[in-house]
Amino acid sequence: MNNNIDEKDILTFVDAVSGFFFQVTQEKVEIKAAYLTEGGMVPSTYDLTSYITLSGDYVGRIYFSAPRSMVAHLLMAMGEQNRLEDRLLDATGEIANTISGNARKHFGETMEVSVPTTQATDANWLKSVVPPHSYVILVKWKQYRASVVVDIQRVV
Amino acid sequence: MDDKVSIFRKYRNILVAVILFVTADALVIGINFYNTYRSDESGVSINLSGRQRMLSQRTTKVLLTLNEALNNDDESIIKANVKELSLAVGLFDTTLEGFRDGKIVTGGDMKPVFLVKVNTEKSVDFVKNTYGIWDFYKRLLKGLYVPLPEGYIPVAGGKKVGEVTDDEIMESVRFIKSNPERLYAAALYAQRNNLKILGFMNDLTTDLEFVNNERAAKLRIVLVAGIIFAVMNFGYTVVVSIRDLMKTDAELAKARGETVEILSTVREGLFLLDKEKKIGTQFSESLPVILRRDIQPGSNFLTHLEAIAPKNIYESAVDYIELLLGDRVKEALVASLNPLTNVPVIATDVLGSAQTRYLSFFFNRVLQDDVISHLLVTVQDVTDKVVLSQQVEQAKNLAKTEIETLLRLASGDFASLQQFIAATGESLAQINEKLSVPHDDVRERLHTLNYIMRVVHGIKGEAAVLGIDVLESYAHECEKEMVTMRESGDSLSGDQMLRIAVLLEGFYQRHSSLAQVVSRLGDALGKTQPQSAAETGASTHPFVGHVSSLAERIATDNGKQIEISCQFEKLFSLPSHVVQELQGISVQLVRNAVTHGIETPQERASRNKPQSGALCLWCEYLGNGQYDFTVRDDGRGIVPARLREHFVKNGTLSASEASTLNDNEIANRLFMPGVSTAQTANKDAGHGIGLDAVLEKVNKMGWHLLVKSRANRYTEFHIQFNTTS
Repeated sequence: MNNNIDEKDILTFVDAVSGFFFQVTQEKVEIKAAYLTEGGMVPSTYDLTSYITLSGDYVGRIYFSAPRSMVAHLLMAMGEQNRLEDRLLDATGEIANTISGNARKHFGETMEVSVPTTQATDANWLKSVVPPHSYVILVKWKQYRASVVVDIQRVV
Repeated sequence: MDDKVSIFRKYRNILVAVILFVTADALVIGINFYNTYRSDESGVSINLSGRQRMLSQRTTKVLLTLNEALNNDDESIIKANVKELSLAVGLFDTTLEGFRDGKIVTGGDMKPVFLVKVNTEKSVDFVKNTYGIWDFYKRLLKGLYVPLPEGYIPVAGGKKVGEVTDDEIMESVRFIKSNPERLYAAALYAQRNNLKILGFMNDLTTDLEFVNNERAAKLRIVLVAGIIFAVMNFGYTVVVSIRDLMKTDAELAKARGETVEILSTVREGLFLLDKEKKIGTQFSESLPVILRRDIQPGSNFLTHLEAIAPKNIYESAVDYIELLLGDRVKEALVASLNPLTNVPVIATDVLGSAQTRYLSFFFNRVLQDDVISHLLVTVQDVTDKVVLSQQVEQAKNLAKTEIETLLRLASGDFASLQQFIAATGESLAQINEKLSVPHDDVRERLHTLNYIMRVVHGIKGEAAVLGIDVLESYAHECEKEMVTMRESGDSLSGDQMLRIAVLLEGFYQRHSSLAQVVSRLGDALGKTQPQSAAETGASTHPFVGHVSSLAERIATDNGKQIEISCQFEKLFSLPSHVVQELQGISVQLVRNAVTHGIETPQERASRNKPQSGALCLWCEYLGNGQYDFTVRDDGRGIVPARLREHFVKNGTLSASEASTLNDNEIANRLFMPGVSTAQTANKDAGHGIGLDAVLEKVNKMGWHLLVKSRANRYTEFHIQFNTTS
């Protein structure tokens, strides 16, 4: 599925997430594992997932999935008192928005990027929507794990 | 020579100003010195002409006193005045001669001094007129005083004017007493002419003063002119210097501006490297960006290089740079040896993410007076170029896959191909599963990397056996990258694990293409299930042919000759998963035997061995379900002493570690990840993966590995297993 993209392209999305966390907490996220949705391997889905849809020279989706506790901790680090579900979803969407900005910068303005969609997800949700040969990158921030799933391909 | 002319032209104006200044100063000082000298002479003349007036008066007074003393017959007064008259007449007479002729006379302090001859018309007349009176006056005085010796010239320490003895005085006293009329006549003459002499001497003094004043006035004019000239010259020098400095500054500023513009615009990293390997004070703005490092002027280039380049490339580069900075070899001759082209480097971005990029460094000698002073280094980020060529190569390989598959089908070995595709799919899935496990530290990542390298090495070996170059080459490229990652050791990051995932995707793409082609063509040919040798009707198992071809290809590539024999009757009756594992193991051991064990024909000849090395593979049934699978070569053998020396030389072991390990422990090192005895790495050996992979397979299957060897005779690898357990 991921024709003609390399680790530089993928790192653009991971760096966006890392940059977001670094800006807010001065603490980057670390890549702990990277694999393909192939050979029976499925992407890790957490409580909250946001994604953006790309069109143009590249098509596909970039997902960011994180546990509620991680996003709540992030809000706390941002000094926010409101940690209700809506605010947690908004914060997850902001991370997808940052990914969107980095994607535009990296792939050029010809790439169209949708507004982020955010939802609460169960453990199998990503497995049901992500096709084979997508990249799954497991990242860690403090004691929490989250996943960035890259399912894009070049069409021109 | 040209440089000297250029410097002269550059500073010509300042040089002319300085020469004029020095010349004028020398002239003024010379004139000043001359006038000062002449002023001293004038001073002496004026003083002595004044003294003449006093001496004339004194002579007159002494004559009158003598006359009176003679009348009173007072001899003591006569003697005293004779002495004084001798002094006054001597001084007056010699001084007057000095004015006339120029000579050494007695000065005011009674010491010798040179009196310059008068030279103005007036002064000469005054002296001549004085002589007109003095000549007669002096004749009248003869006998009344003690005269100086003829031609008297005062000298330091010699007889002084007026220095007379009592006898000489008494002789004049007696003359005076016996010739009183001479004294009377002289006194009378003195009374009548004293004023005239005084007048002439007074006029002489006035004239000498006038001449001296004229000279002083000239000196003042010269001094003023000299000062005016010096001030003008200083002003000229200042103006010219400032103008030249401003011009030079403008030229320098322009040149500096151009240099800065070039260094800020050029996309390549540019800098000068001195003999201490230090980076120059100026370098292009692109350099830190390309190297992804903070570059300080004067920092050591090798330190930066060591941090980003693989260890083996770094070590080669150190030697290469040393070679270029020396003058023993020509630059053009060693250019092709540059190890720093398309160097894979691990660099981190601002967020600390590691990326593999490719850099090329080019070196040019900079000469000053035909001596190498620096190296001009150009650094290019060739990542896009390398990646593009890799992609082109990948596309070519994918196309090649179909051709190779067709050829494989044409050779009738469809079963091996299908087995390989299935096994490779499983291997890739194993790698993916390993990658999915989160790793919290470098040690875990290194462990996984070594595992993946063994699996990839296995795929490479099996692809080589089947002649599927597209997968063999790709596996080799992956291996090379992973060796670089492994060498980064403690800095092996999660980002690099992402790179492995990308490499895995490349494997999947090639595997998928191959599988599709095999499936499509298999369908067309009605071959859907793997077939055994018996089913294909072949007399020997295809693996025998494949492993023989592989061994011969590796031997040819390494300049060696081999004869291979296989006794596999017992092998193919074993369960298929056992056969598959043994095939994989035998491929690694065959590679190992040909590249490391068997010698070149020349080396074999020197040991009285046949030119072709013997490589034997056999599987033997030992009874009670026990088997022995052996790979034997008649090459160099495993020699602990050689290994010990090699490991110390390549840094695998320190000298003290090597000396404490026994021979078995040294030989066991061959099975550790990353350990190789090859001098250089190539597709067939040198990455230190083969024996590590063999041991891992043997351990996984619960088998036993036995190694036997004799120096320069043989090496045998025995895999022993029991099919009933």
